[in-house]
Amino acid sequence: MVVYSFYIFDRHTECIYARSWLPQSLSQHHSSAPLQPSTASDDAKLIFGTVFSLRNMVRKLGGEDDAFISYRTGNYKMHFYETPANLRFVMLTDTGTMSMRNVLHQIYINLWVEYVVKNPLAPVEHKNGAGVKNELFELGLDQFIRGLM
Amino acid sequence: MSSNKASRIGEEIWKTRIDKVNTELVTLTYGTIVVQLCKDYDNDYEEVNKQLDKMGYNIGLRLIEDYLAKSNTMKRCTSFRETADMIAKVGFKIFLNITPQVTNWTNDNNQFSLVFDENPFADFVELPDDGRAQDELWYSNILCGVLRGALEMVQMQVEAHFISDVLKGNDTTEMRVSLLRYIDDELPPEDD
Repeated sequence: MVVYSFYIFDRHTECIYARSWLPQSLSQHHSSAPLQPSTASDDAKLIFGTVFSLRNMVRKLGGEDDAFISYRTGNYKMHFYETPANLRFVMLTDTGTMSMRNVLHQIYINLWVEYVVKNPLAPVEHKNGAGVKNELFELGLDQFIRGLM
Repeated sequence: MSSNKASRIGEEIWKTRIDKVNTELVTLTYGTIVVQLCKDYDNDYEEVNKQLDKMGYNIGLRLIEDYLAKSNTMKRCTSFRETADMIAKVGFKIFLNITPQVTNWTNDNNQFSLVFDENPFADFVELPDDGRAQDELWYSNILCGVLRGALEMVQMQVEAHFISDVLKGNDTTEMRVSLLRYIDDELPPEDD
């Protein structure tokens, strides 16, 4: 199992955390097919647009309770988990990976709530990712993901 | 979800997943905050109520995440009635170990009361005898803010206020909660 990247989007649809586990050269190659190589923030916007549309479509077809969980292409699989407070977790992995919904939920409970929400000095709203990139959260996330691979 | 099931969930989480602290620590800490606010605002109790509500609101914005994590909630409540049950039997249970009664629903199911048989914040408390506190100060007003903040994060705009308090000589302590509206999802900004 390989994890490529991980994103968190807040309820204001802003990307407040992004992390890639690809070597720099590889991730360049990964997204440089078009003439203008896309930047990390363009990637995040595209990803949000995709999951948001899919989530809304799934709810329209399957009812409010139906959850968009993942989709797969020839090259990668995208996993999605949204908390009731509209915090969205997205992870890209290789195509053979099983459902990561539980993993995303664990990241929320054990890392996000513990290290970001409960940090009294972190802001409530994470404009431009403020307060998310703290050492405990990043270390914990890295360890957790590497433990899976 | 039936209200019995909510009670069981609350009980279970309280027993297994919650770190406990001494009640007196909570009571005295909260009392200190209220007293300090009364000093800071020169016994302007209206203002103290407002500040307590605001502090609660900021607590609620965060507390909801801890609530969702501890209760393992994956889905929204399907009705405001379910929301009320979860607040009383899971929320209050796991954070304060009390379960206020949910009662006095309006016919449109948009307003209910929480009746507090016990309130750890108000143990040992007597309101000052200055002729105004008894009328104006809502001692536990922080709780209204907590509910407002927490529910806003799960896309419910509510209004909450106390309508009676045993500290003022009323028979019960009762908070009225009204659902104003459900908040829509925020949409990503249009591309230029």
